[in-house]
Amino acid sequence: MNQMLKKYLSGALLLALAVPASAMADDEAMKLKVDELTRKVAKLEDKTLSKWLDIGGDYRFRLDSMRGQTKAYTDANGTFTNAANTLQGNFFADPTGPTLAPGLNAGMLSGLMGFSNQMKTTTTFAGAQAFLQQPATQQMLGGLQNFAQQVPAYKPNNDTLYTNRLGIDLHAKATKDVTVNVRLVAYKTFGSQDDSAVTNGGSTPFFADRVGTFDGTLGHVPSSSLLDVDRAFATWANIADQPVWFSVGRRPSTNGAPSNLRMNNERPGNGGTPALLVDYAFDGMTIGYAPDIDGLPGAYAKVCYGRGFESGLETTSNSLNDTDMLGVAIIPIDTDPLRISMQWNRGFNIFDFPVMKNTAFGNTAPSTALGDIDWYEIGALSTIKNVGPGKLNFFADAGLSVTHPNNNVSGAAGFQGLMTGAFFNPEAPSDKTGWAGYLGARYDFEPTKTKVGFEYNHGSKNWITFAPAADDMWTSKLGTRGNVYEAYLIQELGLKPISSHLSKAFFRVGFQYYDFEYTGSNNWVGAPVKIADIQANSMQMLIPLEKAYDIYATFEVKF
Amino acid sequence: MPLSTTHDPCLQGDGLVIPSPCRPEKRKTQMKKMVSFMAVLAIVAASLFGFSKAAQADEIKFVGVITKIEIAGKDAKTATATLKDNKTEALIVITVNDDLTLDKFKDHRIVEGDEIRCKYEVIDGKNVSKLFRKTAGC
Repeated sequence: MNQMLKKYLSGALLLALAVPASAMADDEAMKLKVDELTRKVAKLEDKTLSKWLDIGGDYRFRLDSMRGQTKAYTDANGTFTNAANTLQGNFFADPTGPTLAPGLNAGMLSGLMGFSNQMKTTTTFAGAQAFLQQPATQQMLGGLQNFAQQVPAYKPNNDTLYTNRLGIDLHAKATKDVTVNVRLVAYKTFGSQDDSAVTNGGSTPFFADRVGTFDGTLGHVPSSSLLDVDRAFATWANIADQPVWFSVGRRPSTNGAPSNLRMNNERPGNGGTPALLVDYAFDGMTIGYAPDIDGLPGAYAKVCYGRGFESGLETTSNSLNDTDMLGVAIIPIDTDPLRISMQWNRGFNIFDFPVMKNTAFGNTAPSTALGDIDWYEIGALSTIKNVGPGKLNFFADAGLSVTHPNNNVSGAAGFQGLMTGAFFNPEAPSDKTGWAGYLGARYDFEPTKTKVGFEYNHGSKNWITFAPAADDMWTSKLGTRGNVYEAYLIQELGLKPISSHLSKAFFRVGFQYYDFEYTGSNNWVGAPVKIADIQANSMQMLIPLEKAYDIYATFEVKF
Repeated sequence: MPLSTTHDPCLQGDGLVIPSPCRPEKRKTQMKKMVSFMAVLAIVAASLFGFSKAAQADEIKFVGVITKIEIAGKDAKTATATLKDNKTEALIVITVNDDLTLDKFKDHRIVEGDEIRCKYEVIDGKNVSKLFRKTAGC
């Protein structure tokens, strides 16, 4: 019995010793499996696109109902076209006639063509004065009066303008500290593959920034269903382990603060330019620095450069200079409750016409550089939480523009210079200073995700900005020489985001009222003229609009 | 200086020690005590100064990518963010208490995957954020 018991106990003891050993062996195997699974998961995570690539975008349907009121005026382009058509018609009908004055038809047509050609090649103030004083020129100018195309005042309107806009955003983390951002945009009018709905369809346009689509406005003025590259830039951040960055490419220099409020976008962050000064898709570069300063949370500064026009090779027939812009931005505070921005820009060798195709003036291109422009801006933007059941956003911006014309004038524009002169009436170059103010507020009512906003801006007689890509149909409202009032309401659908945390869908309705005090809003060619002083025989290149309205509604999705 | 009433041939009157040339041993003791006291005072001052220097040196800066954000609801007054240090690849848990950063967590302006420039102090064993900012660039 004792032997049995001993054997039993020994066996039990051996078993007891073996159990933990086998358990330990199981644990070890489990640990190996877990380690292997962890490695596999890590490998899979490394390969997932979301680790290095973000894709997003937006879609917008927009309806605009536009109305305006013009002043009676004489159309400069129409006058020349009238003269050319009549003289050509006479020539083709009777090349050697008329009978009473043989050769006159040919002579007059030839004279007009010579006059036009000489106009285009006269690019200095002194040259223009000399040309205009020639007896032959005086005779031609007198003759042109017979072909003057006077346009009575009328009310242009487009009851329903529908547009589609699609934007695709890509953000790629290429390497440590280096990213690439891309934005592709297609923006078109329903039933059209060109920009005629906003450029007056081949007739004389209303505003210089809506004569046609050009380099910096692609994707911002409805034109075609082509996917344009609106932004494409690479950024190298944390240079030398410091908060310093370098960024180059097609810049995020459109839709800047505070226009993000009315567009229901997020604040632009370090990128972007103040909307009052620049709204143009520049190709350029930036160097920035964001120091950590206790008393200045979010502070940063940057130097920005952009090329507005590439003049190509300098040859015996091409002496044009490139058009460049340089800017310095200082944002001493950038927080939700307060963002302060200060900016200086200078545009060098400002051209007379950008490169555009198929406009009312034909294909256009720079013919001369008219001088330089300095811009200054100071602005503040604030978001205050818990104002009632929501939050209040408000802003105020002020801008100053100072033109520095050289001795050049634009022959294609009737010898007008940088904010100087009238058609066939050149003015000696002199600096012109203009100013603008822009303020507004938006209240976000959180319980129903409703946002109500109001904005007002005023531009003085000589105010000029560089914002042709602004999201306005008539013309960039911030370049108006006069007053613009805008009210809008945004209603978000409040649906659960799926594609990203910030994705949303919303309706927006708004009303813009433009009260133009001077001609030439968004145009730096020629001196502004008081709208009230425009007479039926005032020769203008663009239709002088006295006032304009735009009622708009959108359905937008950001994903 | 402590008073002494031990029997002493120099004691006079009520027995208080009278500083006197007739008591050179007592003066030496007092000097020693004064020197000792001054030495202790100097050591304490040096320690305090050294401690405060060490406290400033506790501010640590790094750049890292957020791997996790934990925040308890839209009324939370604090949150923790785990960041992977770009240089060391170590995971660092940061406690965030400032309203502006918490707001950005709540409305997803700062999310997992964002690269952050962070400065923190170690307080009561926690890495408390002093600066929590997306890497600048654009």
